[in-house]
Amino acid sequence: MAVYRRGYQRYQGPLTGYWARFLVAPRFAWERLFQQRQVVILLVGAMIWPLFCAVFIYLANHSELWAGLGGGFKNFLEVNGKFFLVFMNAQAVFAVLLAALAGPGLIASDLANNALPLYFSRPMSRPDYVLARLLVLIGMLSLVTWIPGAALFFMQVGMAGRGWFSENWRLGVGVVAGFLIWVLIVSLVALACSAYVRWRVVAGGLVLGFFFVLGGVAKMVNTVFRVEWGSVLSPTAAMYQIWCDMLDVETPLGLNTAECIGTLVVLGVLLVVVLERKLRPVEVIS
Amino acid sequence: MTSPVIELDGLRVKLGRREILLGISCRLGASGAGKAIGLLGPNGAGKSTLIQTLLGFHKPLAGRARVLGYDCHRQVREVRARVGYMPETESFIANMTAVSFLRLMGELSGLPRETALEKAHEVLFHVGLGEARYRPLGTYSLGMKQMAKLAQAIVHGPELVILDEPTNGLDPAARQRMLKLVREMKDDHGMNVVVCSHLLLDVEQVCDEVVIMNNGLVVHQADLEAERRSNRCFVELEVIGEDQELSGALAEIGADGVREGGGRWRIVLPPSIEIQSLWALLGRQGLHVRKLTHRRDTLEEIFLKAVGHIQHTPGEAAAEKSLTV
Repeated sequence: MAVYRRGYQRYQGPLTGYWARFLVAPRFAWERLFQQRQVVILLVGAMIWPLFCAVFIYLANHSELWAGLGGGFKNFLEVNGKFFLVFMNAQAVFAVLLAALAGPGLIASDLANNALPLYFSRPMSRPDYVLARLLVLIGMLSLVTWIPGAALFFMQVGMAGRGWFSENWRLGVGVVAGFLIWVLIVSLVALACSAYVRWRVVAGGLVLGFFFVLGGVAKMVNTVFRVEWGSVLSPTAAMYQIWCDMLDVETPLGLNTAECIGTLVVLGVLLVVVLERKLRPVEVIS
Repeated sequence: MTSPVIELDGLRVKLGRREILLGISCRLGASGAGKAIGLLGPNGAGKSTLIQTLLGFHKPLAGRARVLGYDCHRQVREVRARVGYMPETESFIANMTAVSFLRLMGELSGLPRETALEKAHEVLFHVGLGEARYRPLGTYSLGMKQMAKLAQAIVHGPELVILDEPTNGLDPAARQRMLKLVREMKDDHGMNVVVCSHLLLDVEQVCDEVVIMNNGLVVHQADLEAERRSNRCFVELEVIGEDQELSGALAEIGADGVREGGGRWRIVLPPSIEIQSLWALLGRQGLHVRKLTHRRDTLEEIFLKAVGHIQHTPGEAAAEKSLTV
């Protein structure tokens, strides 16, 4: 019978489980994100650099193609920690841009339209909501970060053989783990900015500003106090230092990796506190 | 004994530095399924805080609140799986169509994917938004948004539906439609409904029980049906003729009357006596009626008395006067 003729009947069948319900919000959010043209364009754009890197790996492993170009070119075409560091830096920028574009729409519009009571009056807690939103961003940023990174690593393993893998397996771990930390930080920044400012565009600007402004603050501290440790205040510099350490690349920053990890942990905690304070079903004015 | 829909036991809730609920204890909806409970009170009485506490939005400072037998703080998932909530304020996801929105809400409540889509269509036709179901919610009028809010509250077929000011911003026709839907929810679908409203007439029309709150306390709780039955009829009468014998005649039919002079009377009829009996009595006494007005205490008068704006309802005042005389 047609729905319009049937009339409303109360549903009294079995309900889905926790994980099925938990994945509903990310599924709907992904669906809506991929309907946005800018997001799709940026996502496609973010795949160009990994393609270049794949060509680079192919050339590096097929010396017969550039045999006549000399020894300098051979040194240039080497797949090592530096290669992956350059790859990660480029993809990290795309990750920030994507987070700035897609992140604000995830929470800011819910806050602007007062939709949180609708979510929280269902079997969904505040941590569930934040994790679901985080999953959306982590899933999308993974497409441009650790997934192509791991693909490039295994492409190199496939071409260079087991010997290369046994010598350089740490690079693979470094790429995946390093990207995962970055994706987590960027996603938390995007969600916190989105929760703090209810306007999507402003929240997007805030996400970009966050990384630039903290970088500027770090440089200012270094200049005013004539120190180098000021760089740990910048999440990008801290992340770069950690990546260098993971990929066994010498860093020009000269920072302490433990301090950099500490900076990111403190930043992560602060962002979680912002989310905890801002994402409430009802606003309580004391 | 039927377990109540809502059970509050010394419930105290503090928001910020202010204690909003000051120890509420009551049992609502104990008379079985398919009942509507009206939650009334002036602004700042604590109605919304109570609703939000029932949904687990606020942690009680002391005491306990149970909904359908589940503790609102410790078993909040169980409570929320069984409750539908229509907030007072505009709440929706602007750039989503009504169907997608309801499907999302249904799936979040635990409906399987296909069922959620089916129910989304079904409930949108039920609330009268069938033709507009593919339009983004942001383009809806205020009345349509109210209906969409109601639809999301019932899409998963909850046992209890909490409606916070459901008729806000509705024109008279839409208001009647909303009240009809609320009546259908309880009468045809066996849902329990809590209606929080400032409009006493709405509550009077659809509710079986009423709770009146003031300053964070429950000041009056009544079974409206029983109240209607026990509510005496208050009559103002003006007659021409010899009315000295009327007082005794009124006593014979079980009514109380006070003569105010000049043929004017104030009479209190017990619930069992219909107004026709009074007409018949006046006819037998040979009296010509110049004026007869009769009314019962309205919910508004009961409400005003409960929140301390008046000392007695007109019915009570008339009864007291007749007793004094």
